Amino acid sequence: MRTTMTIAAALLVPVAIQGQSWKTVTMSRQLQDNDEVRVSVDYGSGDFSVRSVDEGVLYRMNLRYDEDRFEPVADYSGRRLRLGVDAIGRNITVGRSRSGAMELELARGVPLDLDLNFGAVRADIDLGGLSLTGLSLSTGASESTIDVSEPNPLEMETAHVEAGATQFSMMGLGNLNADRIEIDAGVGEITLGLDGRWRRDSRLVIDVGVGSLELRVPEGLGIQLRKNSFLTALDSEGLVKRGDVYESPDFQDADRRVIIDLDAAFGRVSVVWTRAEHGKP
Amino acid sequence: MLPSLRKGLVALGVVALALPGSAEAQLRDIVAKSVSASSSGASLELGFRDDATLRVRFDDGDVILDGNVIGSYRTGDELDRAWRALLGEAMALEDGALAERLVDWSAPSSLSGGLADAARELDDAFERALRETQAPAEAETRDVDASSRNGHSLARLLVGAIGRLGALDEALSGLDEDFRIHVDEDVTVGRDEVVDASIVVIEGTLTVEGGITGDVVVVGGALDVREDGYIEGEARIADARVLRDNGEIRGGIVDVLDDERDFQDDLRDRLRDEIREELRSNLRSELREAARLEDGDSYSIMAPLRPVIRGVGGVFEKLVLVFILGLLGAGFFAFAGENVDAIAETARRTPARAAMVGFAGSFLLIPVWLLGAIVLAVSIIGIPVAIAWLPLFPLAAMLAALLGYIAVARVAGEWLADSGYPWTGWIRKSNPIVTLVGGLLGLLMAFIASHVISIAPFLGLLRGLLFALGVIVTIIAAEVGFGAVLLTRAGRRPEYPGGFDADAAWEAAMNIDVEEGLDAKHDREDQT
Repeated sequence: MRTTMTIAAALLVPVAIQGQSWKTVTMSRQLQDNDEVRVSVDYGSGDFSVRSVDEGVLYRMNLRYDEDRFEPVADYSGRRLRLGVDAIGRNITVGRSRSGAMELELARGVPLDLDLNFGAVRADIDLGGLSLTGLSLSTGASESTIDVSEPNPLEMETAHVEAGATQFSMMGLGNLNADRIEIDAGVGEITLGLDGRWRRDSRLVIDVGVGSLELRVPEGLGIQLRKNSFLTALDSEGLVKRGDVYESPDFQDADRRVIIDLDAAFGRVSVVWTRAEHGKP
Repeated sequence: MLPSLRKGLVALGVVALALPGSAEAQLRDIVAKSVSASSSGASLELGFRDDATLRVRFDDGDVILDGNVIGSYRTGDELDRAWRALLGEAMALEDGALAERLVDWSAPSSLSGGLADAARELDDAFERALRETQAPAEAETRDVDASSRNGHSLARLLVGAIGRLGALDEALSGLDEDFRIHVDEDVTVGRDEVVDASIVVIEGTLTVEGGITGDVVVVGGALDVREDGYIEGEARIADARVLRDNGEIRGGIVDVLDDERDFQDDLRDRLRDEIREELRSNLRSELREAARLEDGDSYSIMAPLRPVIRGVGGVFEKLVLVFILGLLGAGFFAFAGENVDAIAETARRTPARAAMVGFAGSFLLIPVWLLGAIVLAVSIIGIPVAIAWLPLFPLAAMLAALLGYIAVARVAGEWLADSGYPWTGWIRKSNPIVTLVGGLLGLLMAFIASHVISIAPFLGLLRGLLFALGVIVTIIAAEVGFGAVLLTRAGRRPEYPGGFDADAAWEAAMNIDVEEGLDAKHDREDQT
């Protein structure tokens, strides 16, 4: 919304932004059919948001970028959609640009194989409402909040998330409707919410380098934690140790069960029990 | 007869355009949209279902329609404001609503002159691009000829392919007068059939299995000459494919768009050559300039003086460096004199130990910097500290090295003052700044000497040795100083007691507190 307002302001008040090299652009493409589209999004620095949209467009993208250093990308061909910005030349950006921004809206109801790559950004992503057949998300040194606020109507085999040095939060994992969710985090503070509507038993594979990991588990969801760690403290409140694994007390009788394979090097892992907010577990 | 036919074809197209009732007009589907704005301009790009595009840019004073400048504007003028207002609306609209808004747009009535012309052209461009003319279903007849029997549908089809009129005109030029024309249909000349005329096929495929005694013109389709098929005359092709399955085209194939393509190719080649030549010329002149500056190989009246200028310049550069470091040293003495004393004392008493610590510290700088950043980045509270850590740590390290170097320079100055060497009499230990300047000159003496030597010819080796000596002295001084800074925690924790303190000696001898004074001592004695 902020980018939209900026574009409107830039259009209406050209004189006010003279002397700057910032450019704002809004791009969209009409929805022509409901065949699967492979979407690849690359964004380097600034604010980044993704939402679903239900207005007859395949995508709508609002961008604010430095036109001396970047150029927008919106390429659709052969059921492949590539969006984002490309760097011009070999500029090296030190630090995070707060002024750049990208707002992306993707069509509801269209099967999407989504590949999101973003670097030093502050990301606010809501995948709720999207029909995802695949998800690959990669982030660098970012502050990312990802929510799957509504259930994915399509089954997904694997959702893969890779986070670098980051403060990373991903909620509503149950709504992803994935057989297997892989989280690969380097350094930082990771929060994973296992809330949402789990359609079937799933496996969550977490690999954390250095940092803290908080698992927010809704009451009623059966979890089994298999830990393989080096110097990691585990706060397993509410879990029962059975052999080499930790389980929720009702794991065997739970309607939906999630097996968590945790590989952590240095840091702290804690399990926090919550009330379900994204529907029943 | 042929020229009149050609004119007729074109005229029919124009008439069809002018007859709104003869063709059904509706707005085209906009499948892609891009609206952008910056301080230098604002643009709109539309993509249609048939991959056609419409691009309008207001860019640095030019109004550009599909790559062609159609007018000019000034930022903030009425046309610019109207355009940006339209784009503001276009941003929120999609497909049909967007097409309607663009078609409905008209130039502000208050515009005049060039602005009004540009606005009108834009208005027309939207009309042309967005209004789609579709031929009614009954017009899709397959048997069309040049007679007046079905001329109306011919015109409509031509309008549908209005972009080909130019190519058609080219292809028909000089053609034999006796011919048959087929529009938007596939034509086959059968195996036993011989057509005693020329054939024109527009937007269709002409398959020749028999014979054609005249010429063949194919615009925007395909010509397929099968085995045993033949064409006596020329095959004139415009934006069409030719398939030959052992068939004969005795008059040869003429691509009527060749000239245009050749022209474009020539233009492209010429531009490429010009750009290449310009780049080559620029590169050559830059290389020449660089070579001239580097080697001075070209003759110049200044050539004999170059070594002198270079040498004197080098000496001057070092003197400026001494001046700057002297100013910094004065600052350190004024605000952190005791710290400098402590560092200098450590450097003087244990230079080898300080040097070892300095070297070790230098090697550990980068790992400590990186590890510190990682450790801080792990926690939320630490992230802001990490952001400050990244630039401040190298800055602090550089400051420490500078402080240490200045302290060592002072020690060197004191040593020179005591040395009795020629030209060192002016260094007075009572003035720390003079001592520092003397020390700096001493530390940089090898560099200064190398610059002086460079003025004389044939002494390159000596110059190189002196320069290397200067580098070694500088590194050692910097490492000793840096180590002394580390050992004394930037002078806050002296390793050794300071030098002679007159106040302390006086206090010890007289058993008084200097600050308190003699009167206070006498008063105390009287009371006793």
